[in-house]
Amino acid sequence: MHEEVDTIAANVAEWTETNEQHTDASAEKAWAHPGILWGVFAIPEEQVGALPEELAGLDVVELGCGTAYFGAWLAKRGAKVTGVDPTPAQLETARRMMEQTGLRFDLVEAPGEAVPLPDASYDLALSEYGASLWADPYKWVPEAARLLRRGGRLVFLTNATLVYLTAPMDPDAQVGVELLRPMFDMYRIQWDGETGIEYHLAHGQWIKLLRENGFEIEALHELRPQPGAVDPSYYDFVTVEWAEKWPAEEIWVARKRA
Amino acid sequence: MSSLPDGDRIASTVAQWTLTNREYTDRQADEAWRRDELQWGVFGISDRWVGDPDGLDVVELGCGTAYESAWFARRGARPVGIDPTPAQLATARRLQQETGLEFPLVEAAAEDVPLPDASFDLALSEYGASLWADPERWVAEASRLLRPGGRLLFLTMSTLAHLCTPDVDEEPIANRLVRAQFAAWETTWEGYGGAEFHLSHGDWIRLLTSNGFRIDGLHELQAPEGAESHPYYYVIPAGWARRWPGEDLWECTKR
Repeated sequence: MHEEVDTIAANVAEWTETNEQHTDASAEKAWAHPGILWGVFAIPEEQVGALPEELAGLDVVELGCGTAYFGAWLAKRGAKVTGVDPTPAQLETARRMMEQTGLRFDLVEAPGEAVPLPDASYDLALSEYGASLWADPYKWVPEAARLLRRGGRLVFLTNATLVYLTAPMDPDAQVGVELLRPMFDMYRIQWDGETGIEYHLAHGQWIKLLRENGFEIEALHELRPQPGAVDPSYYDFVTVEWAEKWPAEEIWVARKRA
Repeated sequence: MSSLPDGDRIASTVAQWTLTNREYTDRQADEAWRRDELQWGVFGISDRWVGDPDGLDVVELGCGTAYESAWFARRGARPVGIDPTPAQLATARRLQQETGLEFPLVEAAAEDVPLPDASFDLALSEYGASLWADPERWVAEASRLLRPGGRLLFLTMSTLAHLCTPDVDEEPIANRLVRAQFAAWETTWEGYGGAEFHLSHGDWIRLLTSNGFRIDGLHELQAPEGAESHPYYYVIPAGWARRWPGEDLWECTKR
């Protein structure tokens, strides 16, 4: 239990700092974007097709919403969104954006590992580099399963396994082509000098965990940048040149058994 | 997805496996047919996915010398071995005569299997159709051949091992990505006949689900402790396969 408290506190500290450096300043632009975009290469949802086609009226819980721009994109399309995040600073930014835009939805301060919301009350559980990367999967996936109604969908984006395997320990260095660590028993990693702790599973581990929690696997979208994509400026762990060859990010789509 | 015309590609694969049978699989068949346990892949990993084989109708897609089918036949299943290479089926028939273990062998490519719909409980492929047949077509065939609730188990080289396989012949894979994942599935090798098909996990999931399969598991196999590199299929060194999966075993159920 001590370990769990520590990792969550560490990730709140990490994201408080990141919010100061980047996500607070970028929230206005992110909230205002008319499209739904995935990942560091801003791939339009129309190209991916990971979300349900009809979003209006869906009860959505976003696990690790940060400044809640993704939730805002869904709320604009008529979804009833609840954003969950453990970092107060990011939720403050989200609230400021709500005041500025007039677009309001529920925000709850909690980690993806323990969500104070009722069972079977959502049609879609979503995480875009939220719980999917920063919460313990052996805790947040069961929470997502608990929160979803039967037939509800879980959609999450995180780093591709190949990024985990080829990223140097120096967090300022970019992914390469050498396999730098083994793939068996993947679980979590703390990059050199970083406060936060990331969680990474191999594809076989994700499938096993999702199946054990009552999900059917619907899709694994391995993302490739669109023609004309530009190198990410803040989350610069990867270049377009690398991501043209190998997936840097992946989206899992799973459905809770009816 | 196929770049060679089907007939030419399959003929080239048959030529390669005729050669491989002469070099290796024919002389190795005696030992493989007599194995007590069902093993998967070049490191001989003990099966823990088949369950009870007794009474199952089993189709093996790309059976080669049919040693896996032989294991099923010995345990009360009714296997049918499918393979396009006459030389490998001749070896399988020789072993059937030697062991007295008889089951049907059908000379056909897994892209087009001359057997009736919904007549099997288990379809399997271990480095057979799983690597050498056009996935769009053999997965559709597997789905057609299976009864609802029937299972598909197949093993092939892992996506990661393929990404790390050098172009240079006879050079084992290294700890380095040397080919793009966003590329055509069909791969041919200099000085080697036939074509292999290598899919990403996302592509496998799309293909399997669109053919009516539920994904039950992706078992990314680790070489056992103390494993040695295979003397003939040396491309995946044991040391590599201790750290990264050299082989993927997919487990699915037809809805």
